[in-house]
Amino acid sequence: MDPLTVILILVGAAVAIVILDPVFRKIGIIELGGVIACIAFLSTLILLILDAVMEAPPRMIVFGPDSPLTASLKLDMLSIYLSIIFSGLGLMAAIYSIRYMLFEVGHPSLDDPFGIRVGGLGLDRYYALLLTLIAGMIGVTMANDFFTLYVFWELMAISSYSLVAFRRWSWEAVEAGFKYLVMSTLGSLAALLGIALLYGLAGSLRFDVVRAAVFGGGDMAVALSLVMIIIGFGVTAAIVPFHSWLPDAHPAAPTPISAILSGIVIKTGIYAMLWSMFKIFGPVAYGFGPALIGLGVLTMSFANIAAVMQTDIKRFLAYSSIANIGYIVTGMGLAAHILRTYPSENGLAILALAGALLHILNHALGKGLSFLSTGCYIVSIDSREIDKLEGIGPRMPVTTASLGIGLLNLAGVPPLSGFWSKLLIVSAGLGVPSDSLMLAATIIFIVNCILAAGYYLWLFQRLAFKKPMLNGGHEEVREAPALMLAPLIILAAACMLVTIMLNPVLQFIQSALEVILR
Amino acid sequence: MNLYEIYFTGSLLLIAAGLYIIASKRHLVKIVIGLEVITLGVNLAIASMGIRIMDGVIVMDALAQSMIAISIAVAAAIAALALSIALNIYRHYGTFDIRKLRRLRW
Repeated sequence: MDPLTVILILVGAAVAIVILDPVFRKIGIIELGGVIACIAFLSTLILLILDAVMEAPPRMIVFGPDSPLTASLKLDMLSIYLSIIFSGLGLMAAIYSIRYMLFEVGHPSLDDPFGIRVGGLGLDRYYALLLTLIAGMIGVTMANDFFTLYVFWELMAISSYSLVAFRRWSWEAVEAGFKYLVMSTLGSLAALLGIALLYGLAGSLRFDVVRAAVFGGGDMAVALSLVMIIIGFGVTAAIVPFHSWLPDAHPAAPTPISAILSGIVIKTGIYAMLWSMFKIFGPVAYGFGPALIGLGVLTMSFANIAAVMQTDIKRFLAYSSIANIGYIVTGMGLAAHILRTYPSENGLAILALAGALLHILNHALGKGLSFLSTGCYIVSIDSREIDKLEGIGPRMPVTTASLGIGLLNLAGVPPLSGFWSKLLIVSAGLGVPSDSLMLAATIIFIVNCILAAGYYLWLFQRLAFKKPMLNGGHEEVREAPALMLAPLIILAAACMLVTIMLNPVLQFIQSALEVILR
Repeated sequence: MNLYEIYFTGSLLLIAAGLYIIASKRHLVKIVIGLEVITLGVNLAIASMGIRIMDGVIVMDALAQSMIAISIAVAAAIAALALSIALNIYRHYGTFDIRKLRRLRW
């Protein structure tokens, strides 16, 4: 398969939905846009899985003459791994949106000044933006030079700003959208400045040329560009000094988009950091390991403490996303530190990176599942306050059971795969007992995991078993429609499946790691 | 000072000016203008990196030119989106003043 095929399918479907929308409205079936989006996601997912199963060799496509100045795309195991996660969660969100978005756009208060009536829904734009969002993310993982990466990055970013502000009849969404836009654009511009510096040093932006210029070490300008790139991509990854847009933006978006944003968009930032730090700059020449460990530890500690204090369930889940990014960054930092300081302990670094990559998958599944379940509650009782949701479990058994699986996976309860990814990072961190930095980071990591497991289980207990505090309880509450439950069941099954098939998944991750560390 | 240094200094000045605008102004449209000024600064930085001297003639590298063109297009898309969101905020609150918003704390 050509790397361009996937992106063309997604962007083509986005264009088709917008063009065909008047036809759908004329025949009265406005859900058809969502169906087209589902078909596009499903076909990309099948293409990618076929590629992964056949273990296709890495390949490259160059647009125009093969010189260091032309744009190019690559397709290797790492991009296939991430693209499968992205298009899979995109498919789930698209299926879920078909029913959920009718609730969302039918919902604005009647006295709103925006003239949004059922009929002028804007659902075609919603699905088109969802498709371009996923296309941008897949494009980021497939880019083979920094400028292609930047272009796809902005495709992803612009789609997600518009999707956060999609519910423009609510003050929360437009404010959060503006805040997200300003902060994230500043981050992208910092990254672009770093890329410009790299271009000045290497004369080209192809990854292989830049790597040849900077991999062995460099002067101040190289270090400055590294810092700019970490800051720039770190804003999208929501690492703690740059996180403050996330707790506003993720809850304000429509729920399927919250699942996408929290589950995978921030992972795109992680991928861009991972690729530029480990593949382009190299952890041996630049000692960014301790800095990454510090950022990761700060991120998870801050976010876990902030999460406990939330009363809004979507804000709670958003903070826990920041905490999980902290785990992943700590894993990357441990790997970088080990590679630089203990060259003989290469296996430990691979362990830490494998844990980080596996946690990307686990968090995407768990957080997607939790956000989508939350959406079912929102449809049923139209509130995000945890107090009002207490004791809803017996009324909505399927939703609550899937939320439980998602939360247990995030909490890292064995034998679910969320446990194994954390265990990999911890065992790498304890691999060199004489190193006090790694030891301290690992201890803080373990404390954070226990705290997080505590509040996930506490949340689940409140929702599932506690007696409702409100008068009359939740007697009129019904289970969500089947079309919204289907993605929940598929995602819960995927959590189980990853646990059962842990060995093949880890082998896949190892072949993805070989791309980075080769 | 050669041409490269002049361009690069100019770009740093533009970026600093844009950051100052975003940090100090309380008007939504002015913040969007600040973003655009920073984008101009970064574009100028790319241009300064692309300067080549061939046979005594100053030329611009082809990659830098295409990067700047695409970057300008991206910036236009972002500005359009930012202004449309600002307009929606205006419809909610009747003001462009950022201090009147409920949750926009940086």
